[in-house]
Amino acid sequence: MARIAGVNIPTNKRVLIALTYIHGIGRVKAAEICTKLSIPDERRVNQLSDDEVLRIREMIDADYQVEGDLRRSVSMNIKRLMDLGCYRGLRHRRGLPVRGQRTHTNARTRKGPAKPIAGKKKVTK
Amino acid sequence: MARSVWKGPFLDGYLLKKADKSRNSGRNEVIKIWSRRSTILPNFVGLTFGVYNGHKFLPVIVTENMIGHKFGEFSPTRTYYGHGVDKKAKRK
Repeated sequence: MARIAGVNIPTNKRVLIALTYIHGIGRVKAAEICTKLSIPDERRVNQLSDDEVLRIREMIDADYQVEGDLRRSVSMNIKRLMDLGCYRGLRHRRGLPVRGQRTHTNARTRKGPAKPIAGKKKVTK
Repeated sequence: MARSVWKGPFLDGYLLKKADKSRNSGRNEVIKIWSRRSTILPNFVGLTFGVYNGHKFLPVIVTENMIGHKFGEFSPTRTYYGHGVDKKAKRK
């Protein structure tokens, strides 16, 4: 069992994949870390030596923003936009798409599940 | 895609003149501008701009956080009050 960057305990997967379980580290950054520490692709997490685990941990602490810190900085950025009163902030406040997508239809990811319109008649055959 | 750095920030040149003018005169007056596409520069901080939204000049007090945004972002062009509740449907 390896604890890297706080709570994350990746299992007996390959290091490259296991690292992506950390919020803020995807395939690209995982590959970056592996090459920098010269860990071979096929190495699994339970085959890592304590020293290697330590070096991974130190590298992530030093060079990458992950987990809580990353979440905080993202939400701070959104909060900044909202407090500023700019267009993007308004869209965040209303829970609508921010980057100019259409809202006539779709946009369900931002708007959530469709709400029924009161009094609209159902079409029956 | 982001704008190339070597070009510098985009803005309509006459804004600089307008800003200078109001700064040299007795301050805190609204500078009316139509140029919603211009970038807010550091030397606009503290001034008040009236940014046209196609209808009115909305006052925008420039703060430090706004640097790098465009004027148009602070002057919404659409009004939307939400959908009214259908009265007929309520009665049923």
